[in-house]
Amino acid sequence: MKIDIQGPLLTVSEIHELTAVNSASFRDKVSAALTGTTTTIEINLSQTRFMDSSGLGSLFALYRATAKREGVILRLLNPMPEIQQLLELTQMQQLFEIVKR
Amino acid sequence: MKALLICPSERPAVPHLAKPGPLATAPSLGDCVACHWIEHLAAMGARHIQVIAADGADQVRASVGDGARWGVRVEVIPANSEPTRREAVSLYRHAADPGWLPAPYDVVVASSLPGNPDLELFESYGSWYTALVAWMPKAITPSRIRVTKPQPGIWVGSRARISPSAELVAPCWIGDQTVIGDGAVVGPGSIIEDRCIVEEKASVTQSWVGPDTFVGPMTSVAYSLAWGGTLIDWRTDSSLRVPDPFLLSSLSKPPFPDTADRFGRTQNAPAPTGSQSGLIMSLRARMGRAPSQ
Repeated sequence: MKIDIQGPLLTVSEIHELTAVNSASFRDKVSAALTGTTTTIEINLSQTRFMDSSGLGSLFALYRATAKREGVILRLLNPMPEIQQLLELTQMQQLFEIVKR
Repeated sequence: MKALLICPSERPAVPHLAKPGPLATAPSLGDCVACHWIEHLAAMGARHIQVIAADGADQVRASVGDGARWGVRVEVIPANSEPTRREAVSLYRHAADPGWLPAPYDVVVASSLPGNPDLELFESYGSWYTALVAWMPKAITPSRIRVTKPQPGIWVGSRARISPSAELVAPCWIGDQTVIGDGAVVGPGSIIEDRCIVEEKASVTQSWVGPDTFVGPMTSVAYSLAWGGTLIDWRTDSSLRVPDPFLLSSLSKPPFPDTADRFGRTQNAPAPTGSQSGLIMSLRARMGRAPSQ
């Protein structure tokens, strides 16, 4: 997993899977990388091939964390069709801004 | 009168439909595709139906039996490959024999449903969904006494249990012994096959749910085919194996067949955390509670 901070933009990429094995460290690392000036968080899911409920839970935890910070936007980028299906199945696509670039 | 029924063999566009068995045995509105055809041919006067099965002849035979349920004699004949209509005529139908149903019902390929020859079942997942939804009004035949039609465009198996707070939107089909939970929404354009559970506040729209499938609470199935733990978007043909059985899973086998007990705990799994314990307790409570009639 790679975390890149460019001013107010925090980008998380190279996530190959988001499961019970790594969801806690994902959540902790991203939370730790948040600064007072962060206004946009982009989670690049283009390489994410597998996600389970723990992975979904970590995304939801991030959503709740950002919801407490006024004006912070959380975006999911380029999810694979399978991950998009999982987000739709759990109705989580209603919570996140999903962008395809 | 005689008739030939050719079972479709492999169709590369719909591999997930063929996983549990041959395509001719694929479940469609409470029965298998071949069974619908045998019933139709029997109603047209056929008394001896030869079923040509190039794929899984034993499974086809197990599904259709000997034909006694339709009052006909059914003979399943294994073949090396799926014959074309012309090949089947030359191999199995002798021109001198007059005792055949009139064309085109003398030789039929079970790649569509009776009465809808233009809607191919196995060209894509989208064609499967489209053909089934289009055939819904034709699926009730005199022999199908276990399906009722409480409202126009809504068909319900007589042993299905539907919560009073569930919402059924026409057209939709609820299979026999299926349970629809509190606040669930089914339809429009949805087919829930037999022995499914759609849990509370789940929604199934523009979708087909295969038999023995559990759709978990709050889960939203839309524009999809859901069968066991497999979810297929019929618009894009993309498929997903849903990793968490409380969202979507098969009811006919345990989610973790090798080591799990009935609540999905594996022998070597770490002890559940606080939130997981709460979820398991919640699932236990739900599994022990049947929706109100």
